[in-house]
Amino acid sequence: MNLQEYIASGILELYALGELSEQERSEVEHNLVQYPELRAELARVEETQESLLMQTAVRPRAAVKSALFEKLDAGKVSVKAEGKVVSMPSASTASVWKFAAAASFTLAIVSSYLAYEYHNRWKSTETNYTELLAQNQRVAQDYNRVNQRLDQIENDLKVIDNPDFKRVVMKGTDNAPNATAHIYWNEKSNEVYLNAQSLQALAQESQYQLWAIIDGKPVDAGVFDGNPKEALLKMKNIAGAAAFAVTVEPRGGKESPTLSTMQVVGNVVKG
Amino acid sequence: MVLRVIKNEDIAEEVLQDVFLKIWDKIDQYDSAKGKLFTWMLNIARNHAIDKTRSKEISKEQKTRAIENVVHRVEAREPVEQRVEDIGVKDIIKSLPDEQQFVVDYLYFKGYSQSELADEFNIPLGTVKTRLRLAMQSLRETLNVT
Repeated sequence: MNLQEYIASGILELYALGELSEQERSEVEHNLVQYPELRAELARVEETQESLLMQTAVRPRAAVKSALFEKLDAGKVSVKAEGKVVSMPSASTASVWKFAAAASFTLAIVSSYLAYEYHNRWKSTETNYTELLAQNQRVAQDYNRVNQRLDQIENDLKVIDNPDFKRVVMKGTDNAPNATAHIYWNEKSNEVYLNAQSLQALAQESQYQLWAIIDGKPVDAGVFDGNPKEALLKMKNIAGAAAFAVTVEPRGGKESPTLSTMQVVGNVVKG
Repeated sequence: MVLRVIKNEDIAEEVLQDVFLKIWDKIDQYDSAKGKLFTWMLNIARNHAIDKTRSKEISKEQKTRAIENVVHRVEAREPVEQRVEDIGVKDIIKSLPDEQQFVVDYLYFKGYSQSELADEFNIPLGTVKTRLRLAMQSLRETLNVT
């Protein structure tokens, strides 16, 4: 084949322009593989063509580029093709934006999740804190109650231990044969303490009333409820009593005892 | 090139976008042994632009007018079209003989195929080829291609 004639025919120009039929095209391609001179000439033709077109090119409006990227991003393009052209400047710009968008989306999701998670934790912490506060308050109340009870018992012990207090045993009458009660009476200070824990609980409208017998007359020494919690009840101060007795009276007590309801009675042992 | 072939800016932009999408889709079919990437992209763009002109009514009208006004075609056109088409191109190809300017202009910038050119202007196909060849060789110097 005469290469000079072949080149001079202008077929390479038409090949570069894309003007050849399928058959002519494959012929040229076949020859290109065989003849380096043809390849060199084609390269020159292509460069001339490129230079001609680049110098006469009309720059498209910027909107064309952005619209194109929108279409590309809309997924009109297969992932495979996208991967292969990633080195093109336009493609890398697009993938930078894609990456930025994906990154910020991921960040938003992660942040939302963390916010939700921490909100939940904060909620449960707050609930726990409230519970602990209530518990703490209960413990403090219990402590106070126990402390008060301890004070009372210590006080009771002091009364019982004190030799100045005289113990007066009151025994059950026919009304309550099993009942007993004790008086701790200080003749110097006139203080009276009563242990009445064996006395039965009474109806709401009734109360027990303690009487001191002074010079043969009953004197009111105070009222109390049945089955008292306290070991020792502080009663009214009494001086010069010869005996003590407990009757059942209407709530609040009476001025003079109802003798028929007497529960326990006991004399003060002199000396 | 697309704009010069299409002559309507909006349609040209649409075609350009389609061309880029097509290139994007077909990039794995490009074979560097068969030519430069630019040539491959040019062929896609040119074919697409020519297809578009054939499918559009406007192009018929434009082509008919072009055929009728071969002699006075520049004068017959609207100023905008004239500006878009002729800026740059004329400067570069003005050094060529008229018949070579004609071939380059019609093949590269008016979207004519070689056979259309041969048929419509009664130029033998071989002559179209050789004129193009001569024109490209002259342009090689004009454009300082080594």
